[in-house]
Amino acid sequence: MESASRFLAPAVNWLRGASLLCAICVLPATASAAGTAVGTLIENTASVDFTQLGAQQTTNSNTVSFLVAERIDVVVTLRSGQVTVLPGATAQALLFTVTNTGNGTEAMDLAINSVVPGDDFDPIPASPDSIFFDTDGSGDFNTGDVAYAAGVNDPVLAADESVDVFLVNNIPGTVTDSNLGRSELRATAATGSGAAGTVFAGQGDAGVDAVLGTTGGTAATFGEYIVDDVAINVVKSQVVSDPMGGSMPVVGATISYTISVEVVSAGTATAATINDVIPTWSTFVPNSITLNGAALSDAMDGDAGEYDLTGTPAVVVRLGDLTQADGPQSIVFQVTID
Amino acid sequence: MKLTTGIALLLLAITAAAQSHLDVQTTVQKEEVFVNAAGEEEKRMVTAERVVPGETVYYTITFTNISDDSADNVVITNPISENLVYLDGSASGEGMDIVFSADGGESFAAAADLAVTEDGTSRAATAEDITHVRWVMRNDLAAGAQGIARFAAVLE
Repeated sequence: MESASRFLAPAVNWLRGASLLCAICVLPATASAAGTAVGTLIENTASVDFTQLGAQQTTNSNTVSFLVAERIDVVVTLRSGQVTVLPGATAQALLFTVTNTGNGTEAMDLAINSVVPGDDFDPIPASPDSIFFDTDGSGDFNTGDVAYAAGVNDPVLAADESVDVFLVNNIPGTVTDSNLGRSELRATAATGSGAAGTVFAGQGDAGVDAVLGTTGGTAATFGEYIVDDVAINVVKSQVVSDPMGGSMPVVGATISYTISVEVVSAGTATAATINDVIPTWSTFVPNSITLNGAALSDAMDGDAGEYDLTGTPAVVVRLGDLTQADGPQSIVFQVTID
Repeated sequence: MKLTTGIALLLLAITAAAQSHLDVQTTVQKEEVFVNAAGEEEKRMVTAERVVPGETVYYTITFTNISDDSADNVVITNPISENLVYLDGSASGEGMDIVFSADGGESFAAAADLAVTEDGTSRAATAEDITHVRWVMRNDLAAGAQGIARFAAVLE
């Protein structure tokens, strides 16, 4: 998809899409605090002060009490953004967090469903295992992550505790660019699930009753894969001209870089952007950026590119939505060797 | 001699008090939804035995003057359990003035006047701040008469 010939300069980066695809987006927590611990005894005693026959007296009432029962609630939150995949890709992971939002300890049953309505294709759950824990806590699916086996290693979560889980799917080979595929993780409390308010007598922690909260003891959320099948060629070349009229890369010589970007397949490269870091041993030549022959200002203004100093100095050029019909896009800029 | 008699009388009075001239009974209930004979959903109050965080419990304090003499200056005080939050506006008692404490029972004030000091500044107290509810009977409790004080709280 990408080919770049490199001489003295480091690699060119091109970004598809203006949206941020972050593998580990930390979403704001939506789970509520669990509440008073199961089995806590809540007591109440009223006292009455009065005078009778001139004497001050106090009487206490009986003490009434009740036990805090277990409320069963669970929440599943998607952590991945949309995951970009190629047709036929294998072991593509979506990251979720399962949280016990009840007030007692619950083992959670996990299940994958990749036949979710509203998408363009059904991801194929990886075999033999399609559910994994993020064992090393990296947020990336890798060989250190342990597979989930129902009934064998159901995660046991204390009140307010959570666990990170991957769903791993393969992508069918028949999908095309921009197709969406959904895969859903469902977590269900082992004690039970069903209508909110259902009581499981004596089945809460320490033999106290358990009651299903508003979630009914089960929750499911899906993540999405998006197929990115656009082939783009990015070729970078350079011409050196030294102060003596030759082409020796000496101090003071000017290097003119040309980056050629071309879509060579069907489909659209949405918001294609070139981001080329200036070599550390060079100095950018002001006002040297051109796109298809037209000059672009160095400043960040309304045009298609700039010399970006907000981070590591780089030439940034936005090419918009490119298709094969647009033909090659040519970016040129210059630096001098320090 | 006189002093001794005085003390003896006082001791008698205190001993008599230990025999509870006022009987005070507290109950705690919660709402339960059930399906009635007509198949419709209905609510009723049942004794609270199993309560989950977020549920509301309703306390009823019934006090009866079981003696032959009138009881004056009757004041009922109820400390709110640590894991409960008083339900705003739920305290009631016919013929009683209701006040609240937010400082562990040291001082009491009407709901509208109750304030707490935080970081040196004073602010109006919220339901979460309330540590005690107190009912002050405006009139005496005659022999044989009964009063009922109520309030509700939410389990955290």
